[in-house]
Amino acid sequence: MSIPLDTTGSLPTMQDYASENACTWCDGCGDYGIWTAVKRALVELQIHPWQTLLCFDVGCHGNMSDKIDGYRFHGLHGRVIPFAAGAKLARMDMPVLAFGGDGASFSEGVGHLVHAIRSNYPIVFLLHNNGNYGLTTGQASALTKQGVRMNASPNGIPEATLPSMDFIFSLQPTFVARTFSGDIPQMTRVIKQAIGHRGFAFVDILQACPTYNKFATHEYLLAHCREVKNHDSSDFNRARQLAIDTSDSIATGVLYQNVTIPNFYERLRSREGRETRLVDEVTPYDIGGLMGRLV
Amino acid sequence: MSSVAVTITGAQGQGIDSVGGILARACKRSGRCVFAYREYMSLIKGGHSRYQIDIADRFIGSSVSQTDLLLTLNHHGFEHDLKHMRPGGIVLHDQEGWKFSSAQQAWIAERNLRVVAVPVHALLRDIGGTPLLRNVVLAAFAWSMFGEDRALLADMVKERYARKEDVLAANMRAIDAGIRAREEQVPDLTFALPPADARWKDRLLLSGSQAMGLGLVRAGMRAFFSYPMTPASPLLTVIADLQNETGILVKQAEDEITAAQMMSGAMFMGTRAATATSGGGFDLMTETLSMNAIAENPALFILAQRPGPGTGLPTWTAQGDLHMAIHCGHGEFARGVLAVSDANDAYSLMNDAFNTAETLQTPVIVLTDKHVAEGIFTQEPFAAAAPTLSRGLVTDPAALASLQSADRYDPTAATGVSPRWLPGSHAATYAGQADEHRGDGSVEESADNAGAQMDKRLRKMKAMKAALPEPVLYEVVSRELRVVSDDVPEVDILIVGWGSSKGAILDALLDVTQDSGLNTQDSIGFLHYSWLWPLKTDRFERLAKQARKIVLIEGNAQGQLGRLLRQETGIEITEKILKYDGRPFFRDELAAAIRAKL
Repeated sequence: MSIPLDTTGSLPTMQDYASENACTWCDGCGDYGIWTAVKRALVELQIHPWQTLLCFDVGCHGNMSDKIDGYRFHGLHGRVIPFAAGAKLARMDMPVLAFGGDGASFSEGVGHLVHAIRSNYPIVFLLHNNGNYGLTTGQASALTKQGVRMNASPNGIPEATLPSMDFIFSLQPTFVARTFSGDIPQMTRVIKQAIGHRGFAFVDILQACPTYNKFATHEYLLAHCREVKNHDSSDFNRARQLAIDTSDSIATGVLYQNVTIPNFYERLRSREGRETRLVDEVTPYDIGGLMGRLV
Repeated sequence: MSSVAVTITGAQGQGIDSVGGILARACKRSGRCVFAYREYMSLIKGGHSRYQIDIADRFIGSSVSQTDLLLTLNHHGFEHDLKHMRPGGIVLHDQEGWKFSSAQQAWIAERNLRVVAVPVHALLRDIGGTPLLRNVVLAAFAWSMFGEDRALLADMVKERYARKEDVLAANMRAIDAGIRAREEQVPDLTFALPPADARWKDRLLLSGSQAMGLGLVRAGMRAFFSYPMTPASPLLTVIADLQNETGILVKQAEDEITAAQMMSGAMFMGTRAATATSGGGFDLMTETLSMNAIAENPALFILAQRPGPGTGLPTWTAQGDLHMAIHCGHGEFARGVLAVSDANDAYSLMNDAFNTAETLQTPVIVLTDKHVAEGIFTQEPFAAAAPTLSRGLVTDPAALASLQSADRYDPTAATGVSPRWLPGSHAATYAGQADEHRGDGSVEESADNAGAQMDKRLRKMKAMKAALPEPVLYEVVSRELRVVSDDVPEVDILIVGWGSSKGAILDALLDVTQDSGLNTQDSIGFLHYSWLWPLKTDRFERLAKQARKIVLIEGNAQGQLGRLLRQETGIEITEKILKYDGRPFFRDELAAAIRAKL
């Protein structure tokens, strides 16, 4: 951990990201750890609050939108990824982080996740994965274990649990990491690396939900999560195996990264050789030449 | 006025559109005003397709219901289009030896039609051309009937196929074959176009979608997000084809929700972006529209109407989504709704739409429809003067430095419009917030705050209404249409409408007033609405109160603008001409309907 101690005031500090609004998460909620790690990662990267955009989906995690400084957007349930992608493409120099829960991201918004990976938008997606719909009081998500009794499924859900990591890897991602809300130093390292990634960075944060998730508790995750050692993160097949095999332990850390694949913006022929950002280009465009072809 | 209608018809996939486009442009370049109208079905090959070119010696912006010259590339034209022939018309076809039914023979006799079989297949055999060139042979045959210069038609074909040498050479042979066949086989067969006038030659000939694309580009739009849906997809194609030259970022999204969200994100960051769809796709976007309203984020939605409900008539036209545009999205909020009526509007209103969205920080919906999106208009070149982009942003460093986070959604803002500064600005930050919030975007559920913020956002309706123009009044004076300035004389007969029916209404009014049967004491005015919400009513009320008769003309079943006017003014328009069969108003039919109301 190396939070810069800045006495000149020119570098950002944790205090800069502080909000006067009190946190409203349950005691023991994993969101506290994630909230702290995000701020640390931004501070360590020397990004001032006004230099970043943090986009929140709707869910417990979304209540972070007014508990942290920085430019932020808190929009609709399931739709954070396309909003963040549109924002990023307009201003490529600004780090854009999107936060979403497993409920929205693997049900209502799952199509966006698929196409964001395929498009390789240069944004960070932080999955608050607590295995249920917390804010609506504990219904099953697509990642809840089959058969577990939840609010609105007193008999347990009949659907099969979606194998999220196998699914993500089937989409040929360029960055996949997994971390745990109880390990702030690891989350900080992972988020920093994700912010530096060229394309779409998928960060799966296994998150304790003390109120509704009785199957993957803080203690369970603490006991089972193991940071990968001596792992070649460019090895796609090995990474996929590590990600999907959680029988003994849960592999955490940056599991896969491929920096050879251009991101969406870099693939656009229309933007080749253009140094300005879309936000700089809003001026009347001379259509004289275009019009001439229509006589 | 002198005008004719030439129609090319056949199966989809037979090149009806391409040859229609070539003929339309050739007619325009020869010095005529042209309006072209396409009909087709929601499939790629085999369905019936027609391309009607109305050609006149004065400005026209609509079609007639009857054709003077029909070129049919298969026998379906006999089934679909014979019944739309004007008496004395000419039918060219390539179905040699075709046996007309007795009913068709009787109709041909009754209408006094001249039916000419052109030996297209034999001509193509002689020049070694593929059957795909049938359209060009028939078009050249017709061009020869017009007595127009071969070189002009050849130029149009060259412009279209400039990059495909072999295709071009084959087309040239087909043109020669068609012209020669007419000259040698039926030298007496001619067809007179209206008198030429050089002023039309240098006008643009473009679709409403092309005009809208240019208007958006001109207004500084730098990103466009869309999911294909007729009749919005032509706009996506137009802008996509301009992307390399203009640098505009174009994204064909995975669904309409994505397109709307990406547009919202790009606008939030501070560029100008838009999205476009038709009714069904727009339904999917409305949650996002509502999100932008509470987050006070400018957003531009283009809604290209087609008949619903459901999938409806995918390739036909309607003005049926006005009420949806005004009422869509949950919650109560300010929005702007405007409708384009032709290529000129589609171009010139785009910057106004962006300016309104940005200065009022709220969603704006631009209504268009299949008729404008795919109609081909003769248009004066657009003015060179640069439009004024009003962005309503705080950008000055000193002003930015003095901002507080709570200024962003300050509920005390007199007009409801509080300061907006862009993410990335070196200033106090805020949360764009779709939950109810206080000034800095922090979630706030107190009763006092909820009321204050709702009032703040709704105050923008008043500010917007004050800034918007009243509807335009057209009057026919000395057989010419003119736009009447604000201090209007009274009109005896007031026609009210909006959107794409304007073209047919204006054309029909000229026809009606040139009709000797009309009581010449009556003055007729047409009040045309471009901005539909918030609804400006002063001018309407003034005119309506002294008019002897008011007639509402709309392309929907319920008279939706009429209902809005009654809601806002209490004035009910009882005389209505409504059309909701997927077809646009045809100017001859509309003229008859107007006459019947007088």
